[in-house]
Formats: sequence, C-alpha cells, structure tokens
Amino acid sequence: MHLRVEYRLGPEQRFLANLDTMHLMERALRRADLPYALSAGFNPHIRLSMGTVLPVGLWGEREYFDLELNQEMELKDFAVRLNDALPPSVRVDQVVEVTSHTPSLMKVVNAASYSLVLGISLLQLDALAQEFMDRPSLWVKSRGKKKDLDKDLRSGIYKVETKEQYQGSILTIWVAIGEPLNVRYDELLAALAVSGLEQNSLLDIYRSGNFIYQDTVFTSPLEKVK
Amino acid sequence: MKDRLFREILPRVAKPARYTGGEYNILQKDWDQARARMVLAFPDVYEVGMSHVGSKILYGLVNEKSPHLIERTYAPWPDMEELMRSQGLPLYALESFRPVRDFDVVGFSLLYELSISNVLNMLNLAGIPIWSRERMKEQYPLIIAGGPVVFNPEPFADFFDAFIIGDGEEALLEVLDLVDRSREWSKGERLAALAALEGVYVPCLYQVSYREDGTLEKMEPLRSELPDRVRKRVVIDLENTYFPERPLVPNLEIIHDRAVLEVMRGCQRGCRFCHAGMVYRPVRERSPELLKKQAEEQLHHTGYEEISLTSLSTLDYSAVAPLVKDLVKGFGPRGVGVSLPSLRVDAFSIELANEVQKVRKTTLTLAPEAGTQRLRDVINKNVDEEQLFKAVEAAFLSGWLSVKLYFMYGLPSETEEDLLAILELVQKVKAIGDRCARRPVEIRTSLACFVPKAHTPFQWRAQDNVEQLESKRRRLNVQRRRGIKLSFHDSRLSYLEGVIARGDRRLSQGIYRAWEKGCKFDGWSEHFHYETWIEAMAEAGLEMDFYTRERSYAEILPWDFIDIGVGKDYLMEENEKATYGETTGDCRWEGCGDCGICPTLGVNLDIKGADRCI
Repeated sequence: MHLRVEYRLGPEQRFLANLDTMHLMERALRRADLPYALSAGFNPHIRLSMGTVLPVGLWGEREYFDLELNQEMELKDFAVRLNDALPPSVRVDQVVEVTSHTPSLMKVVNAASYSLVLGISLLQLDALAQEFMDRPSLWVKSRGKKKDLDKDLRSGIYKVETKEQYQGSILTIWVAIGEPLNVRYDELLAALAVSGLEQNSLLDIYRSGNFIYQDTVFTSPLEKVK
Repeated sequence: MKDRLFREILPRVAKPARYTGGEYNILQKDWDQARARMVLAFPDVYEVGMSHVGSKILYGLVNEKSPHLIERTYAPWPDMEELMRSQGLPLYALESFRPVRDFDVVGFSLLYELSISNVLNMLNLAGIPIWSRERMKEQYPLIIAGGPVVFNPEPFADFFDAFIIGDGEEALLEVLDLVDRSREWSKGERLAALAALEGVYVPCLYQVSYREDGTLEKMEPLRSELPDRVRKRVVIDLENTYFPERPLVPNLEIIHDRAVLEVMRGCQRGCRFCHAGMVYRPVRERSPELLKKQAEEQLHHTGYEEISLTSLSTLDYSAVAPLVKDLVKGFGPRGVGVSLPSLRVDAFSIELANEVQKVRKTTLTLAPEAGTQRLRDVINKNVDEEQLFKAVEAAFLSGWLSVKLYFMYGLPSETEEDLLAILELVQKVKAIGDRCARRPVEIRTSLACFVPKAHTPFQWRAQDNVEQLESKRRRLNVQRRRGIKLSFHDSRLSYLEGVIARGDRRLSQGIYRAWEKGCKFDGWSEHFHYETWIEAMAEAGLEMDFYTRERSYAEILPWDFIDIGVGKDYLMEENEKATYGETTGDCRWEGCGDCGICPTLGVNLDIKGADRCI
C-alpha cells in the first residue's frame, strides 16, 4: 500500500535540515510500530521519500512525504498512530492512498507558497506588493548553486495575496521551484527588499504550501495522484 | 529570551538545531516544584556531548527518579559564542532556556583533560566567576565536576567547589539532596557537609605544600574530621542500577547516533597504559535478560535504527555471543541493526562481527598497540602476532576490505626496532589481505602518542617530549612503504594532555592564562594553538617538562589522595613487571592478580555467564 502524507512541521522545528526531518519521520514510524515496508538488501531502510526540501530556518504548514506499507491499513488509524509518536511540534494532517505508479513528489511539485508575517499595516503591504508585482524584472544575486550569478526571478513569481492579521499583515507569494527556475526564499526576500520591505518588519516566514502548477492552476499534491 | 534566540540569533549560526532543545523524550520538570535544580554542562559541542552515555544516565536518573531537576547545556561553537557575547545572551539551559546562573548546581562532565578551557569559557559565558574563591560571597551555583579525568582533580582544584569521584549515580543524588537541604547555610558549611559524603572531594578544604624541588611535600585536610584520602564511589550492583529506557532522540545527527546498551562496567585485561582499565575496576556485568528488555524498551521509545553494545571491552562480556545473536534475530526483521564499538584481536571477534555485519563490510578496527611481542608484553597487551594474523585472515576471507590498526608510539622502553616493527606488522597484514580478499585491501594505521596517566602502572614513567615524538614520526614516515596510510595524533596536543593528566594544583594558573588568551575547543585541531599554551604556561611560571618527567616511587604524587581501590603497591609491581617484560593475566580467567579492588571496596567480580570465569 502506498501513501502520500501531508504534515505540518511547526516553528519549533524550523532549524531542521531535510535529512534531519527524514530521520525524525523514520524514527516516529518505528516508535509507532507501523507496518512500513523495507528496501531489499543487507542494509534495509524504510521506503520513505521526502518531498521538496524545506530550507533550514523555515517552518512548513503543508509538507509532504510518500511511504510504502507492507500491509493494508485504515488511513485514519495510520495518522492517529503516527501522531502519537511524533513530537508535539510535528503533526500529520492528511493521508491519501496513492498507487505505485504515482509520480514522485520531487518530480511533480514545481511551485510553493511562502508566507511572510509582517509588522506593517495592510495598507502599506498592499502598496509594497503592488510595486513588487509591477516591476518588469526582479534581478537578484543567486544564492543557490550558481552563487553570485545575476538571476531574474520575475517569470517565477506567479501570484501574491495579502491579508490583515493582528497588529500587522501577511504576504503570501506563490513561486516556481525546481527546474527550470528555482526561486529561493532568501532570493525572494532580497527582491522584496528592493521594493521597500524592511528586515525588521519581518516577524516570521514559513512555507505555507507545495503545489503542482499547470496551466495557471495550483493543485495540491494530494489531489493529482493517479 | 527564546523568541529572541529563534528570531535574531539562530538564523545566523551554523547548525542552529544544536541550540534549540525540543528533542523527543526531553524532560522538562516544573521549575517551582523541583527541589534542587541542576544543569549538566558538557564542555564540548552538542553532537559530542549528546553522545556521552554517562550524561544520558544522569539526565534520566535525576529527572525520573528524584524530586530534583536536571537540564542540559553544551559549549556553543565559536560562531554562536561570538553572537551570544555581542548580543549579551548568557549561557542557557536547553530545557527551560533559563540562564545557567539561575541553577543551584552546574555539573561538568570531564572526559578529556583539554576540555578544561571550554569549562572556563562556559562559566564565563554564564556570568559565573571562574575561580572558586571568588564565588564564596555572592549566591552562585555550586560548580562541580565528575568523569574519568577527575581521578586526578588537582589541576582543576581551584576552579571547582567539589568533585564527584567514580560512578556518579548514587553520589549525585546525595549531593542534590544536600544542596536542597542546605539553602540557608553559609557556603563554608555547605562545602564541609559535601566533603563528608563518600566520593566527594572539596578541594578548598585540603592544603598542599611543596618541596624546594617542586614536588609535593604533603597534602592534608584542613579539618580533623575529613578523611586523608577520598575514596571513589562504585556502583556494586549494576543489574539493579538505573539505565535510561527513554533517552533523548536528537534532532540533528550526533557522533554516536544510536541506542546504547551498557553491557558491563570496568575491564580487567590490565593493559598497563590504560587509565579506564584501572580506575573503573571491578568488572560488573548486566544479565542478558535485562539487556534484552532494555533494548526492547529503548528501541520502542526512541525509534532508533541501530543499537550498540558498549563497555570498555564488549567482546569480553561473558554472554556477548548469545546476546548478539538474540538481538540480531529479534530486531533484524524490523530493520534495526546491532553494532559492536570495539573488537578484540582474535578470531572469535571476527566471527561475532560477521554475525552483526551481515550487511556492508565496513572498516574493521583492531588494536595491537605495539609492533613487537617484547613491547606488547611490556604494556601487557596480551595479544600475539599469530592471533592478529588469524583475526585479519578470517576477516578478509569473510569479505572485509578495509582494516584500521591502532598503535601507540613513545611507549616505555621503546626502541628503533619496536618502531620499525609497526611497519613490518602492517605490511604483513596487508599481504594477508591481498592474498585472501577479492580486491586489494586498504590498511589504515593510526598512531597515538603514549600519554602516561595517573593511577596506572606507568604513572611514574617519563613521557616523550614533542621533539622526540616528532623525530619518531619522521622516522616512521620515511620508512613507510607505498600503499600504507599512517595517521599520527598531534604530538603537541598529546604532550599538553600529558602535562595536565599528571599535573598538580599550580597548573590552574597556566590553564587560566591560556583561556584568557583565547584557548578553547583545544581538542579540535582547527582551534588548537600550542604556542599560546606555551606562552601561558611560561607566564604562569610553570615548566611543562616537570610534569612529564620520570617520577620516583618515593615521590608523593598529586593524585595519591584519591583512592581508586587498586593498591599503589600493585601498580608498582606492574610497573616493575613491565621492565622485565613479564605479563599479568586477566583475573577473570587466570586467577587473582591481587590488585586490591575486591577487598578494599568489599565487592566481588560480577560475571553473569559464570562458566567463562574461574
């Protein structure tokens, strides 16, 4: 049986590297004594594959992994037992059954949304977002593999949303990840700084979702699974 | 404080998960409900400190089995330290994020002599005066230490209020009870009461005087009711001693990232250079039934993928073979592996290693320690060439392709021949490998500098100085054949370790100056500055060679007042036997060697698989 799991990695765990998160999940699966499938060979490991890498320093509202079980079980039961074995800051929210042919998360997820909690009014934020989206190009220094090369993020910025919240506002931006253009959150912050976002007004930043982006539509990885 | 830490500081440091706490199985007791509040301070980075078994025991013991509370803190890496200092953030505990200064007791684990610079740095980061005499008036936490290094506590005597000598399980709870009881007492009264506990040494209550030649004249207690000698604490019944079933599961990868079973404590092989083998006598084992239950519980509560059988010499555990087989059978199908940290040089070891390593044949590690039979007899490493060759042959035939060999150089009575014999031995092992294995084998040879340690038969012997060690290193490197990798421990680091290992109270001035000049993380080669240490010691008027010289039997040694239960006459006899190349057998199989541990402490060897012992 193949599962796709959506989980929340809370702010307390924002400094975990991707491998650390994977170990955390594997250990929770063992503690819960769930019927995880093992790979063949002399050094067996749990058949678990993580979704796109959550950058160190960010927490994740909707993150994903795929897992193979060696026997059938109720999805709800799976979630309850895994949650009992996870630290309180990590929580499984949804589980769906997929097939062995479902393309892997790494292959299909090509967009993500980053949410910035800001200590500025919605009015100020709207003006900033407007200015940002109106810019014809968004040149920044690349922070990733091709370090310090100039890179234009513009074609990888899909949409923004703003909303008010207690004593401030939230800016959510949907961006391209993976190939051909990968918009890193630190590059995004650099581009927003040009539009007037001040470092000290940024109260929190997290990844609020991962998506399959196709023909201008964002789909959750839990939906497109066949 | 936590909010500021997460927002402003941690995003700017390497490996921030070192500083966040929040591990699975973390125990955070209610501050106001707890009696005594202690922070366990480990003077090295998180990944090292979290791997320490002793700390796991004390953490679980105090939090689960007593009304007291214990939290943790580790040495921040220099990038984090710099930010903490510039942002005015004091050293804090990972459970409550409270400043270390708010606790009643700060207890350091000292596993390595040179971690003392980190101790001073951590005290300073916590806003606590470094010298114990400066902590007499104001309310500061009680600063204590334990661990293998404090069997010679004297070089650190002026920094600590008290030391716990030996097994810490029982003594620590007594110390915490006392701390809780003595809140209204003066510091002097409190220290006097601590000194009355067995296994607790309070240095400021002992006075030391020196002769003109710099050696010790006498050391005596300032009060008549105090003992002349402080006897180590020993847990007699290991079977009924606490061991954690819910250890912390770290969020980032640590050095020993696995579940751990302590199968026994102590080792009586009697290698004459070995500190742990002398100070942790006698051998006490746990039963295989208990260990299997502990393994089950620990794996259930941690979800670890590997379980390691640990002790000073796990292959000497009397029930090791059936235990390993049962664990492999029980946990293998769940994808959990079993590992052995160290192997003996014999075919039995290889057989057992094959049992656990049905998996990848990674590197096999064996420790012949010396190149010739003569020198192996001197150090009482009871291994002969034939055993070694049989062991490696068995290993290569069963698929291993890489062997790591451990040797020491700078050993007592070592000659040119002994040194070159190391290379010959390695060459022979390589030849066996190339004959038996399916591919050319890799032999990695690690050479450690011999450091004479307190309470061992070699405590009177001279240690090679840096020039001697360097010249031996060059000699070996020149003679080395192709295809053999030699890696040498840093001779300067080993020399300094030797100075402190057999040091006295006066060394604290040199250590303090070295810290003032910026020394920290000395065990990490990228942070070790030998020149600074030389300057610091010279400024403090200390001659390092004085501490590494040969000593006479008549000399009063700075650590003589610590009673480890093994007689000084036994150590002398062993040292004499070394001179004549005479060996001493393991008392479990070859009869009592009269080391004195059993009658002195009123204990017996506790061997569970009795058939393997006379």
